[in-house]
Amino acid sequence: MAATDHILSLSDIHRSFPGVKALDGVSFQIPRASVHALVGANGAGKSTLIKILSGALVPDSGQIVFENQVYAPSHPSAAIKLGVSTIYQELNLLPTRSVIANINVGKEPNRFGFLDEKVARQKAEKILGQLGASAIPLDALVGELKVSEKQIVEIAKALIGQCKLLIMDEPTAALNDVEINALFKIIKELKEQGVTILYVSHRLKEIFRLADNVTVLRDGKHVRTTPVAQVTTDALINDMIGRKIMGAFPPKNAALGGEVLRLEHLTSSNTFRDVSFSVRGGQVAAITGLAGSGKVELGKALIGDWPVDSGQIILHGEKFKPDPSRAKSARFGYMPEDRKKEGVLEELSVRRNISLPSLAEISNILGFILFNKETGLAQRQVDGLDIKTPSLLQLVRNLSGGNQQKVSLAKWLATGSEILLLVEPTQGIDVGVKFEIYKLIHKLSSEGATIILVSSEISEILGLSHQIIVLHNGQVQAILGGDQTNEEEILQFTFGQEKEKST
Amino acid sequence: MPSQNKISLQRIAEIIGENGFIFIFILWIVILSLTTQTFLSSNNIFTVLRQAAIVSIVAIGEMLIMLLGGMDVSLAAAMGFSGIVATSLMVNFNIPPELAGLVCISIGGLIGLINGILVTIVRINAVIATLGMMNVLNGMALAYTQGKTIVGPQLDQIAFLARGYVGPIPFPVILMFVFYIVFYVILNKTVFGAHIYAIGNNDKASWLAGIKVDRMKILAFTVAGFLAGFSGLLQASRQGSATSSMGNEFLFPILTAVILGGISLSGGRGKIQNTLIASVFLMTITNGMVLLGISLYVQGIISGLILIIALSLDRLRYRRR
Repeated sequence: MAATDHILSLSDIHRSFPGVKALDGVSFQIPRASVHALVGANGAGKSTLIKILSGALVPDSGQIVFENQVYAPSHPSAAIKLGVSTIYQELNLLPTRSVIANINVGKEPNRFGFLDEKVARQKAEKILGQLGASAIPLDALVGELKVSEKQIVEIAKALIGQCKLLIMDEPTAALNDVEINALFKIIKELKEQGVTILYVSHRLKEIFRLADNVTVLRDGKHVRTTPVAQVTTDALINDMIGRKIMGAFPPKNAALGGEVLRLEHLTSSNTFRDVSFSVRGGQVAAITGLAGSGKVELGKALIGDWPVDSGQIILHGEKFKPDPSRAKSARFGYMPEDRKKEGVLEELSVRRNISLPSLAEISNILGFILFNKETGLAQRQVDGLDIKTPSLLQLVRNLSGGNQQKVSLAKWLATGSEILLLVEPTQGIDVGVKFEIYKLIHKLSSEGATIILVSSEISEILGLSHQIIVLHNGQVQAILGGDQTNEEEILQFTFGQEKEKST
Repeated sequence: MPSQNKISLQRIAEIIGENGFIFIFILWIVILSLTTQTFLSSNNIFTVLRQAAIVSIVAIGEMLIMLLGGMDVSLAAAMGFSGIVATSLMVNFNIPPELAGLVCISIGGLIGLINGILVTIVRINAVIATLGMMNVLNGMALAYTQGKTIVGPQLDQIAFLARGYVGPIPFPVILMFVFYIVFYVILNKTVFGAHIYAIGNNDKASWLAGIKVDRMKILAFTVAGFLAGFSGLLQASRQGSATSSMGNEFLFPILTAVILGGISLSGGRGKIQNTLIASVFLMTITNGMVLLGISLYVQGIISGLILIIALSLDRLRYRRR
């Protein structure tokens, strides 16, 4: 039977990173000229799979067959040549060049090296026409287009390269409903023309509208591939969560103090809107949401690393204008998501990294650092957090990721922070250190510290927090009690389900 | 194993990058000692050190800025401009030298402050901002002097600064060592120094750690300006006059000394003592070429090559990143 003509088939794909099996024996097939959805929770392996298909990563083992040929692109440009194009969330366009230039980039029609502008224009015109997007001005600079138009330019660029498989990563994240409808029309049109689409999205609703088949990944493993018609939203969510065994989290601190931090209608034009909640002393408050929900930006805004347009932050009963230096004075410490770039100073010693925010306290009136005090301060943190380093003078660059993360936290403990904002504190570190950090969060909150935990890991949120703030598209979708909810409910809210429907 | 080879090569590159110019310096001293009779005389040594004094003092300011990952190309012009103002105050207005010196140093500091504000608050790239400043200052110097030399007997009052001796030791050499000792202590023992190194290493992480990064940058530019102002006074004292172009000859040596001394162009790493050694080395190159009788026409080529070599070493050292 010729019923199953597959354009792409993956068999037993493995790919590991230090400490993580990102893909663990994934096999599935994609029928030609279909829309195939790929879903999974954060860390399920979707990004790794996209990167492998687009040629940005090479699998450790396993085989990919594309168009009946073994497919092993060494580089993204090789993948594009073979007919696999990828459109990432952050579009890959040249903002200061025209639409024509962008569509033809890398394949500019030329005569003896001289650009043939006429042909380039005709090609761009034709392809935009096919996409029903002739309204996009050919000579406009791409940077001046709307996001939805940029996306179409990106699609046009892929098509001009004879794309047979188009991978789209969260294409609707920045679009409004009208634009989404237009995009879906284009996707259906592409399918008619024989192009296969691999559609990666968090938005399950869209998948039911658009896709023929869906593949679910969880923890790097393939859970199932099935026609969309044979599955429900709840079943997909169940597949994505699985029945995870909860880690042994200690009981949460019961002695909560008074209000420490309050957000009132905090708004940052494009990232989050009207966010209000209140956090008490000794409480662990988690902020969660999907990628692009605004949770990380909200965290950054609290410390002054993201602009706030309106609303206010009340810290210890007083209005707080966010800024790292003022936060430090208010004993408010911040552990950023990107520890290498923002959390530690890689070329400085462990000692100096830990003492950095405390230098004023461990120096004399003339500004001379008292090195005995500095060493003592750093040594206490190295002992207390069990930071594995051969000496205090070791450069932080030479420590492992988990120990760097501990250094990034230690500096705030050393300076006596009473409020800690931790953004994805356990991302990319091994399980052992992960649980040490959990224990530490628990210990700190028991001692009365307030913890704001921005995290995508639902199990750690459930295990640690008293209060869970779920963001969806930049708005508070729900505020849940840490002991009165479950993984499924949180996930439903992150996917944008309304509060009424959930109960 | 190839990987081990690679590591040891990197290590060698690192050692050369860190200390390479000192090896070349020693080699140069040995050659000069063997081929000339005058080089090692105390007279010649003090001459070299005296020549190094002014460059090396301005180089401290340049070093602070480059440790922060910036660069200031206006320091030589600031030197010249403040030197002209001080000289003119004394010669044309009979202002006492103490007051003229104070004004001179303050003008330098003010220029640095403006540079710092342009770089931090207005957020112009440091090289571009100070390039603009350089042109403004050179233009003002030319406009004010009308291209004429300012000279007068009043300048004898400041002659001691650059031309005096304490026993056998030239006074500017003493000044040079005092400045280096003070800034060595500041950079290595104080919170100010710790913050400079931290910001040069990673300004975002330093800012998030609660350091007032912009304030520190403005401060560094201002301190550099003060040092340039003071050096302008020294140069006026040394020449016994002021001309519109008196700062120009320093532009190249200041940058060369700091870069040759191993301050990374990306900031954060480098030792102040190496800047001092590099300043002396630079003067030894000129001095040695004169002693060896090398034509003035060839000297520029050699000092240009030295800067290129120093930059290559700097890149070699940081290629791993």
